[in-house]
Amino acid sequence: MEKEDVLSGLILELRRGTIVLCVLSQLKKPMYGYSLIQILSQSGIAVEANTLYPLLRRLESQGLLQSSWETGESKPRKYYRTTPLGNEVFTSLRKHWEKTVQSMNELWGDDQDES
Amino acid sequence: MSHDLIERYIYAVLKNLPARQRADIEAELKELISDMLEERCADLVPSERDIRVVLTELGTPSELAAKYHSDGEKCLIGPPYYSKYKLVMTIVSISVVFGMSMVSLITTLMGETSSWYMGLFSWFGNTFSSLIWAFAFVTALFAFFQWRNVDFGPELGDDLSSLPPVPKKDEVISRWECIAGIVISVLFAVVFLFAPQMITAVLGEAGNFEFIPVFNIQEIQRIWYLILSFSALGILKECVKLYEGRYTKLLAAVTVATNCVSGVFSWLFLANGKVINLQFIRSMSELFGPNETFIVHVFENFHLFFLGVILFALVLDTALVVYKAIKYN
Repeated sequence: MEKEDVLSGLILELRRGTIVLCVLSQLKKPMYGYSLIQILSQSGIAVEANTLYPLLRRLESQGLLQSSWETGESKPRKYYRTTPLGNEVFTSLRKHWEKTVQSMNELWGDDQDES
Repeated sequence: MSHDLIERYIYAVLKNLPARQRADIEAELKELISDMLEERCADLVPSERDIRVVLTELGTPSELAAKYHSDGEKCLIGPPYYSKYKLVMTIVSISVVFGMSMVSLITTLMGETSSWYMGLFSWFGNTFSSLIWAFAFVTALFAFFQWRNVDFGPELGDDLSSLPPVPKKDEVISRWECIAGIVISVLFAVVFLFAPQMITAVLGEAGNFEFIPVFNIQEIQRIWYLILSFSALGILKECVKLYEGRYTKLLAAVTVATNCVSGVFSWLFLANGKVINLQFIRSMSELFGPNETFIVHVFENFHLFFLGVILFALVLDTALVVYKAIKYN
């Protein structure tokens, strides 16, 4: 297998979990799918629509998000926001993430200079 | 925003999704595509090309539908069932090939097919079609399990306290013992079904041998199914031994059951005495003469003697397995 293929596969695996973290962090206030994509891409996190929309549905079915259709605007929009469970899960996940980042930094310490 | 290409694209995505989700996903995709077009074209009316670019970005309809499916829905037979599916498929395939080979051999040797190569052709054809049936049946069964999400209960060892203890040395059944058992069962079936005349008494002096088969060949050929069942039961028992690898309650139960049935088969096989070649009994009686009344008596009731030996072996085997299963559990 080519190096690029291996690398992109690994990056995909790494990103899979972090996208959930990003989504939960932003949906404390209601937001529709496409605005979430734009906010994330402004922060340098590119998420494809065909990944995000199915993910939002999955998180909703897990009880982390709730959705409602807003029909007042020019076109109907589906807004998502986190449930109390979603907020709890996000807080725990975030702590876990920060701990992991800290541990990783300690783990490879000065290795960055070597590469 | 409605456009024929968008409508067709959404329809193609929804076609592959569960009906109860379709309406919601349809509205969601319309909203998404419209948002993407707005970003791309701002206030301008999107051209056909813009729509194509946006839809290409979303991926092919089947790719997008696949992303909406949960992992479990993607597979015909998924992770919790796949390893069992493989195991069952292996056992079933081996049994089918073995069983069909036995049946083909028997029919060929009993002269029901005109020649050996016709036998070979029918063996190949029957085995192949039986394998396809077995494959289809097992696959459909496991696909049903997957579809209904059938719960087989916790795996052995999922609960740490249910992990079986490491067997002690005497408790382990050697693989070779099981393989030897299977080979003996197969040989028994092959010899009795195809060449019962091989078991023969040799009388006379050098240069003038006379071969007298112990068994009545016609009778043996008539009860071929009893012989085959007897052999199959032996193989079944050895397979359970091989799978368990130690003396367990399950093995004891299977041994009791198969040995009881084997005992009944032996009874049906031997009790009426028809299977012993009358000529053999006569020759033996003549050979030992009237003085050796005990030996003559044994040969005259050779079928009962034979039955006694088999039943004794079955009882001994059952008692041993049950004893060990109780001792080690």
